[in-house]
Amino acid sequence: MNVTRTSALQFGLVSCDACHLLSRKPKAPVHGIAHCPRCGEELHQRKPNSLMRTWALVLAAMIFYIPANVLPMTITSALGTVQADTIMSGVIYFMQHGSWEIALVIFTASVFVPFLKFVILIYLLLSIHFKSIKRPKDRTRLYRFTEAIGRWSMLDIYVVTILVALVKLGFLADIEAGPAALYFALVVVTTMIAAESFDPRLIWDVVEEKHE
Amino acid sequence: MSEENSEMKHAEQAPEALVQTKRSFSIIWVVPIIALLIGGWLTFKAMSEKGPEITITFKTAEGLVAGKTKVKYKDVDVGSVTDIVLNVEEDNVLLTVEMATEAKSYLRDKTEFWVVRAQIAAGQVSGLGTLLSGAYIGINPSIEGEKTKHFKGLEKPPLITESMPGRHFILQSKELGSLDRGAPMYYRGIKVGQVVDYSFDHERDGVDIKFFIEAPFHKKVHENTRFWNASGVDFKMDATGVKLDTQSLVSIILGGVAFDLPAFMEPGAEAEEDRAFDLFKDRASIEEKTYTIKQHYMLYFNENIRGLSPGAPVELKGLRIGEVVDVNLEINTETHAVRIPVLIMVEPERVDVLVTGEGVMTDKEEIQDEIEGESITKRKYDLSKQLEKGMRAQLKTGNLLTGQLYVDVDFYPDAPPAKLEFSGEYPILPTLPRPFDQITESVARILKNVETIPFGKIGKDLQVAVETLTETLAEIKTMSGNINKETVPKLNAALDSLEETMDGIDKTLGPDSALNYNARHVTRELAMAIRSIRSLLEYLERDPQALILGKEGEKK
Repeated sequence: MNVTRTSALQFGLVSCDACHLLSRKPKAPVHGIAHCPRCGEELHQRKPNSLMRTWALVLAAMIFYIPANVLPMTITSALGTVQADTIMSGVIYFMQHGSWEIALVIFTASVFVPFLKFVILIYLLLSIHFKSIKRPKDRTRLYRFTEAIGRWSMLDIYVVTILVALVKLGFLADIEAGPAALYFALVVVTTMIAAESFDPRLIWDVVEEKHE
Repeated sequence: MSEENSEMKHAEQAPEALVQTKRSFSIIWVVPIIALLIGGWLTFKAMSEKGPEITITFKTAEGLVAGKTKVKYKDVDVGSVTDIVLNVEEDNVLLTVEMATEAKSYLRDKTEFWVVRAQIAAGQVSGLGTLLSGAYIGINPSIEGEKTKHFKGLEKPPLITESMPGRHFILQSKELGSLDRGAPMYYRGIKVGQVVDYSFDHERDGVDIKFFIEAPFHKKVHENTRFWNASGVDFKMDATGVKLDTQSLVSIILGGVAFDLPAFMEPGAEAEEDRAFDLFKDRASIEEKTYTIKQHYMLYFNENIRGLSPGAPVELKGLRIGEVVDVNLEINTETHAVRIPVLIMVEPERVDVLVTGEGVMTDKEEIQDEIEGESITKRKYDLSKQLEKGMRAQLKTGNLLTGQLYVDVDFYPDAPPAKLEFSGEYPILPTLPRPFDQITESVARILKNVETIPFGKIGKDLQVAVETLTETLAEIKTMSGNINKETVPKLNAALDSLEETMDGIDKTLGPDSALNYNARHVTRELAMAIRSIRSLLEYLERDPQALILGKEGEKK
């Protein structure tokens, strides 16, 4: 770990978020907003207000996570029996009926993954706040993982939408999306944006700072 | 310059102003605030929508699933079963039900819950939908009564729900008969309601049948409306003959009740909810007037009363005035005398009373007034006057074919006077034997008298008499023989001498003299007398017994 690392920041350079062109940061403080000379994207040394935004979005996602799990996800009516299922009751239903594979998939995609994302993001945010220098590489890996799996949580929403669209058999069987679907979608979207607004370079900034 | 420089240096020595980046409120915090607002609103909504939790007990939880079974009113969900527990103590199941907020006002103790399952009963199929969807809990909400959260579920669904327009009434009957829940109520042959429930009234020792008449027919139920049992086939055989009465085929199978207004009655006011009515046994009986006053009399019969049963009519001059209530048998173990006490019930209102002296027929109200007066009931019971006039009860054959008897009350002026007596609380009405019995009794009485005649002694006496008679006749014969021998010649001689005397008189007195005439007359008389004596003697000679038994021509 003795390899001397240089960052664009040290050389007064700014990387464009969109086209990754390195451009010099104007020396004198400029009033106004710097733009990428190539693509015109706004230039920031680091993502602005990254930590605060991430915090806000993670909190929002966590709040949405509650109705998403408490309210019914699907309202199934079959032969006159109306049944409202939350995510967990659906998981339990599949488990009890022997389809534990499906139960596992739903549980992972809909319950475990969003929860994991909260844990990871909060961990990352806290580690930066407390200027931790432990295992920055692993933390970056965690961040990448969060970003990668985020979209897969939408699986549940897709399943519900497809079911709602397909199962329209009138009295025999009918599935309707419950209010939880909306909140679940909000959870997924806000966590994705939260992950997006987090700047992993901040992890390394702390490390660099401590090295100096 | 130096000053300036020194000033500059001073300026440089001045501490640098701290530039702090402005920590502006980031717009991003709006997102969690919105999330919080939504979350808060959801929580509030959930809290406010969470209806009251109630418990319902049922005998069985058949077809009920916690979390699935709904409570439905008019097919709208108003609650759902959240939990089902076995209640070991009372041996039933305890359902916890979360009701909708809007159903809060229904949670009164008059509200009824029951389980709706598919059922085929009382001629109708219901709840077929539950075959597929599973049972649900029905509710018959009521906004009257005390608020409660603990309910006892009905085991059978009520047939009428609170929301149906109409009215409930009660029928008081001795027995339920073939009526059951759901049994139809008919008005002029139209089904206008049904039996809702029945219960046993311990006090009255009868059955209370609750029924419901749908609107607008409930307006047809008046104070004076009569209800009769239209169930099944009514086969009756009594003193009036054989009677067969049936209603519609459905009512034969299911039983039913019909109602109408008796022809002789005013409808009266519209009947109130839960008004109690009597259940008449058939249509004919509703047309009979009902009488509130009932007097009981005791009759004692010694004869065979086969054919007399409770319910047999009591008639006065052929008109029904009451009926037989009870027939018993009494045996005196010492004397082995058997008598049959027959209790009859007489409805005095059936008889229009002519007030003696005024000769005015009292109208109903007057009778009513009289009836209410205490003294009048006593007077009505005072039979002594009627008994003096010869009022008696008698059994008579009402139906020759079946031998049914009825009690006939009438006045028999020849009857021996009787005094009013009481058997317990009942006045005794003296009885006369049956007409047929009367004949047999008379015959028996004659035979009995005949039996007492001492024919043996009579025969002996007769023999003695005949012997004596024979002796007497013999004596008479000898006597008449003497007469022939002695008396007749002497008589002839006397006649001869009389002739001589006559001649002498004739000679002495002359043919035309008064003496002569008188003598002639006397002589003629004498001759006639003598002739009579002769014929008598001749007769006696032929029939000497005529002296004792008289002349044959006079014998009857």
